[in-house]
Amino acid sequence: MFKKGVLRELFNTLFGKTWPMWVGGILLAVLNILLFVIKYPWGGSGGYINVGQNLFQSLGATNIGTQTPINLHTVALLNIFIILGAFISSLFSREFSIKVAPIGELVKGLIGGALMGIGATVGIGCTIGGFFSGVPALSGGALFLSLGFMLGTFVALKYLLWEMEALPKISMGKSCTLIPGTGKKTGWQRWLGWILIVVVLYIFSNYTAKGTALSKVLGWHVFIALILGIILQRSRYCITRAFREPFMTGEATAPVAIIISLLVVLIGFTVLKYFGVGNAGETAVRAIEMKSVYANFWLRALIGGFIFGLGMTIAGGCAVGTLWRAGEGHVKLWMSALGFTIMAPVSKGFIVPAVVKIIPESLRSKLFLPDVLGYTGAVILVLVILLLWYMFVKWNEKTGNFSAL
Amino acid sequence: MQVDQTLDCKGLSCPMPIIKLAKTIKKMNSGEVLELLGTDPGSKSDVPAWCEKTGNSFLEQKVESGTFIFYIKKK
Repeated sequence: MFKKGVLRELFNTLFGKTWPMWVGGILLAVLNILLFVIKYPWGGSGGYINVGQNLFQSLGATNIGTQTPINLHTVALLNIFIILGAFISSLFSREFSIKVAPIGELVKGLIGGALMGIGATVGIGCTIGGFFSGVPALSGGALFLSLGFMLGTFVALKYLLWEMEALPKISMGKSCTLIPGTGKKTGWQRWLGWILIVVVLYIFSNYTAKGTALSKVLGWHVFIALILGIILQRSRYCITRAFREPFMTGEATAPVAIIISLLVVLIGFTVLKYFGVGNAGETAVRAIEMKSVYANFWLRALIGGFIFGLGMTIAGGCAVGTLWRAGEGHVKLWMSALGFTIMAPVSKGFIVPAVVKIIPESLRSKLFLPDVLGYTGAVILVLVILLLWYMFVKWNEKTGNFSAL
Repeated sequence: MQVDQTLDCKGLSCPMPIIKLAKTIKKMNSGEVLELLGTDPGSKSDVPAWCEKTGNSFLEQKVESGTFIFYIKKK
C-alpha cells in the first residue's frame, strides 16, 4: 500500500530533526488536558516521592515509606515510562549515548536533584504539577511557586557563572561517551527501540485487560507517558530553560513555547473545571475544581519554589527535564533523579513537618483564584501575567538588559 | 580550517556548554576560530542559535563517532 520511501519519510520527519519547542508544548498541553479527565492533571514530584518511599519501605524505614507500590501509582508510572519513551525516542533519532560527565558535574546533579526533592515537598509541587498544571488550574499558590522558581533560578545561575570563573575544574576533567548512536554499527539501537515500543504496548494492554477502573487508568498512564517521553525528547521541552534563558542568553524561544502551552492548558482546564468535567468516579464538582490547587498560598510556595529553582538550575533539568534527559543517557541527570528520589521522602518526613510548624496556616492556604475573582477575573489575571512575561522576554531578547551572556 | 582554540564540553549537558562557549569566545580575538566538542544533542540547535543571537559566525558542524564538533568564528 505504501512505498517504503513514504514510511521512511514519516520516520525521518519525526526523528530526523528536533521539533520546535512550541510544537512539543502544544502536544504536551493536550495530553495534560486528557490526564485531567482520566484522573488528575500531570505531575512529576509525586512520582519521585512514591518511588523513594518504596525504596525506603523496602529498606525497612517504614516511617518514610508507603503502602502504595510503584505499579499502582499513576505518577510513578508516568515518570518511569517517560524515561522509557525518551530512551526510545533518542534511540530512533540516534541521539542516545551514555554521556558520563566529569565527577564535579555528577555531584552537582545529585545536589540539584536533592534540592528539587526538598523544594517540591516544601512548596507542594514541581515545575509540572505545581506550574505546568498549577497555573492553568487557577491556583493562587502556583503563581508564587513560579515566582520562587524564577528567584531560585536567578540565584543559581549567578552561582554557575561564578563557578566558571572561580572553580572551573568542577566542570572539567575526565568524561566519556559510551555506545553513541552516531557511531558505527548502531543499527541494533533502532531495533531495540522497536522492541521496547512493543514491550510498553504489552504492559499497557495488560493493565487495561484487567478491566477494573484503576487498572484502566494505570494502563492509560503508561501509554500517555510513552508519548510524553517521545514529545519531550524530540522537542527538548525544558521548563528550566524557560526560567533561566532570559537571564542567561536572553533567547525567548523557550519561554514563548512554555507560554503557548500554558495558554492551551488554561483553556482546557478552565472548561473542565467550569463544567465540572472529570473522572466519572469523582463527581463532586468541588473536587474537580480543586484539582492541582494545593495548600501552599503563598509563603510555602515561594520558599519551596525558590529551593526547587536552585536545584533545577544546578542539575540542568527540572522534575521532567531530568526524566527525559536521563532517558537520553546523561549520567548527570541520572544522579539528579537519584538525589530527587532519595531526598523527597526524607524531606516529606522530616523537613516539611518542621516548616509547617513555623509557617502560620494563613500563609499556606489553599487558594482557588475563582473563589476570590470569579472565573472571568481569575482567567484574566493569568492571561495578564502570561502577557507581561511574554513582553518582558521579548523586550529582553532585543535589549539583553537582563542577560548575563 | 585553521583552529585557534579548542573547547572540550564532552559529557556536559545544558546549560554548561553554552556558558563555557560564551566565556571562551569573550577571551578570544576577533576573527579567530573556536572548535567546540560536545556530546549533548541539545548543542546541535543551541550553538547555532547562540551564534545567531550574538553575531558570531557559525561555520560548520560535524559528527565524529558520537562527538558533535562545531566551528565558530568570533565576530
